[in-house]
Amino acid sequence: MFIEQVINGLTLGSIYALFALGYTMVYGILRMINFAHSEIFMVGAYIGFWVLSSLPVFLPGFLPAYFLAVFILAMLGAGLLAVVVERIAYKPLRHASRLAPLISAIGVSIFLQNLIMLTAGASSRPYPEKLPLEQFNFFGAQVSSLQIFIFGLAVLLMFILTLFISRTRLGKAMRATAENHIVAQLMGINVNTVISLTFIIGGGLGGIAGVLNGLYYGSVKYNMGFLPGIKAFTAAVLGGIGNLKGAMAGGFILGIVEAFAAGYISSENKDIFAFVILILVLLFKPAGLFGEEVPEKI
Amino acid sequence: MYRALLIALGILTGFTGCAKSPAGMKVVKIALVCPLTGDVAAMGQGMKRAAEIAVEEGNAAGRFQDIKLELAAFDDRADPKEAVNVANQIISDRQIAGVVGHLNSGCSIPASQIYSKRGLLMITSASTNPKLTLQGLKNVFRICTTDDVQGSFAANYFIDKLKITRAAVIHDKTSYGQGLAEEFKKQFEIRQGKITGFDGINIGDKDFRALLTSIKNKKPSLIYYGGMYTECGLISKQAKELGLPVPVVSGDGVFTPEFIKIGGNATEGDYASMIGIPPEKLPKAKAFIERYKAKYPGVDMQPYDTYTYEATSLIMEAIEKTGKDPAQIVDYVSRAKFSGILGETTFDAKGDTLNKTISIYRVKNGKFIYCE
Repeated sequence: MFIEQVINGLTLGSIYALFALGYTMVYGILRMINFAHSEIFMVGAYIGFWVLSSLPVFLPGFLPAYFLAVFILAMLGAGLLAVVVERIAYKPLRHASRLAPLISAIGVSIFLQNLIMLTAGASSRPYPEKLPLEQFNFFGAQVSSLQIFIFGLAVLLMFILTLFISRTRLGKAMRATAENHIVAQLMGINVNTVISLTFIIGGGLGGIAGVLNGLYYGSVKYNMGFLPGIKAFTAAVLGGIGNLKGAMAGGFILGIVEAFAAGYISSENKDIFAFVILILVLLFKPAGLFGEEVPEKI
Repeated sequence: MYRALLIALGILTGFTGCAKSPAGMKVVKIALVCPLTGDVAAMGQGMKRAAEIAVEEGNAAGRFQDIKLELAAFDDRADPKEAVNVANQIISDRQIAGVVGHLNSGCSIPASQIYSKRGLLMITSASTNPKLTLQGLKNVFRICTTDDVQGSFAANYFIDKLKITRAAVIHDKTSYGQGLAEEFKKQFEIRQGKITGFDGINIGDKDFRALLTSIKNKKPSLIYYGGMYTECGLISKQAKELGLPVPVVSGDGVFTPEFIKIGGNATEGDYASMIGIPPEKLPKAKAFIERYKAKYPGVDMQPYDTYTYEATSLIMEAIEKTGKDPAQIVDYVSRAKFSGILGETTFDAKGDTLNKTISIYRVKNGKFIYCE
């Protein structure tokens, strides 16, 4: 039972971690909390839903390519939407007070939820089951192929992201912009491009998290982003907002805490434990678990 | 100039008046309140279709000489707060002569208190929590069987027929879900069954794996769920994914094709109890089912459709016999011996129907099949 709860927690945590990266990256660059990110996640899940239900699997052998297409489309769609939101709702407010883009983000979030509610319907829709499900025995615990897939994909994406930020020129530009906009601009970095790139990557990861969420729970709904959004934001704060490794660790910690709370203590109050951990961390380490250890924030 | 305008105005109002109702006809409305949007909207939309058919038939048959009946559908989103708002809206509309609804017991109970302020008739076709009619409200009636009957029926069925002795119970903490789960647990324990756990979940939750993992450890041979189909579908699906291949059993809140759509193949072999006997087995319901299929081709019938049709028809009969005075309508219904598609309906002193039957269904090849 212990191992099974760890596996449940890690799967849940993978989704939170991918989702949390979008919050933390935007905060790192713009020092703003992008509350519309939970809707990017939801739209990503819907893109996956539309692609999966309209595109048939041609041959069983094409399944990996098929899923690759689903994820790429969801990632691109969600990433582009995030950039459009940034251009329309945040960029004009870049030099306004810090509250203005925050409120604008909440507005975008309400708008996108209602847009999807009116176009795709208000009730939850079942996600197409196209991934063959198999059970494996892992030290006496049951693991499903979907859980392995979610965890594996999340870890792979996080690994690629870390490499991208630390090894490439664009990654260096992002780190520089996160440290100081003006100086980065003086050094010849196009800050607007970097900000767009941040939104594309963050939004794309959020979109993938949405598709994984849909596959894992088997349904999509227009307000599905709200609660996971709060959890992912919590994960970002828990790890130290603005810090990539913090968001990843925060996501996994939160997922495991939730699984243990629901499994061992009380399933109806599992959300309370996640937030109690957050309050405790903020009381004793206000910058989050990893907030102060890394000098360079992004 | 003024004259021309007045004439034009007269013609206009004359036209609109004509389009709505022939001169001299009074409009009397029957309110239908149920979730038309949200997670249980599928059931609510079914109720609306059924009530529309009933009202349409009433108007077409010319039973009401100087009255034109209208159906006013309201959406309570399965939310008790919204239910109270809608109820207040309804009692302020004097054209409304009676209410059919609500669906969820958690909505029906607070809303019934609002209707009683004006003495407005309320007949629920779907709320099964016994507490609704225990409030001592004279205006509240119920034409469906209650959860104390339903929960204990399921407990007896699984102990007698399937010799199941260990069950895990989950509920959604609502009046309906928790009430039903408690009735099941009570009877199951009276019959010497072992309840391995009694856990609440939150409506809207998607992840039950952690809870199901701990349930799996206690080795139940059945999961009983008190609540609605969305969560139950996910529970069934996730239980089987975790390697807990026991049947999930629930009540009328789950008896809908939507449950099978959400849970997918995992729901194969799951059970649901349902109030009443299958509509196909009711000789008088045949005409209604045919009309429903003709009017809404390709649409699945939902579990409370026949009940809603029946409740609407009963209100129509009360309007026909007494006019539109709320007190007289309530009085008529309390003494009514109504013969409709469900058979003979009469009410006890609390307002519950005396026509109490329960059936059990099992999912086979993606469809609910009648067992008993």
